[in-house]
Amino acid sequence: MNRALTLLSFGAILAFASTQLLAGGNAENGKKKAGTCFACHGTDGNAVDPQYPRLAGQYDEYIQQALHEYKDGRRNNAIMKGMDATLSDQDIEDIAAYFSSLPTKLDTLQGHVSGDK
Amino acid sequence: MTRLQLLSLAAAMAFLATAGAHAAGDKAAGKKLVYTCAGCHGVPGYSNAYPQYPVPKIAGQNEQYIINALHGYQSGDRTHPTMGAQAQSLSDTDIQNVAAYLSSLAQ
Repeated sequence: MNRALTLLSFGAILAFASTQLLAGGNAENGKKKAGTCFACHGTDGNAVDPQYPRLAGQYDEYIQQALHEYKDGRRNNAIMKGMDATLSDQDIEDIAAYFSSLPTKLDTLQGHVSGDK
Repeated sequence: MTRLQLLSLAAAMAFLATAGAHAAGDKAAGKKLVYTCAGCHGVPGYSNAYPQYPVPKIAGQNEQYIINALHGYQSGDRTHPTMGAQAQSLSDTDIQNVAAYLSSLAQ
């Protein structure tokens, strides 16, 4: 009985932990929150002005990381700091989920380096 | 058209021409330079050590953004140990060449 209980609680903890990991952002909500982003980063996440990065198809967690860095000053950028200031952690997850889900023009460097292609 | 107008037009053209020449990076030179970048940016899903997040996809990224980002790592406006060190090793011309090559890869 004791053993079964231990196992059960272990299982419950694992299940809970994995839902937390999988929770992530909600792309639908992110689209609604990303209105101000579109002016520079494009409605499709592919900024036309080359000074702004393409976000479409970028890694979800990387976009989150960048947004946190702009917010707390690890990246010093006046425009992004202002945009970020009012975003909650949940907003950041949702917006990252949205942009990362869009059709991309980006790629890793695999196959693009001198010598291997 | 008066002589003065012609002169200013010529000056404007010359300015535009040099601005254009200044901005254009050398893609072929950039392709050689990104060999180092591929150690991390060439591995799909490759993770930064701490904190953990995937290193960004940079092939096809916009040109001026890449230039600004690399200068940011050089100046300390962006803090990242590895990227700070890498950016220090690049000249302004290197950065333009890297950006020209990476941006040319947009799918």
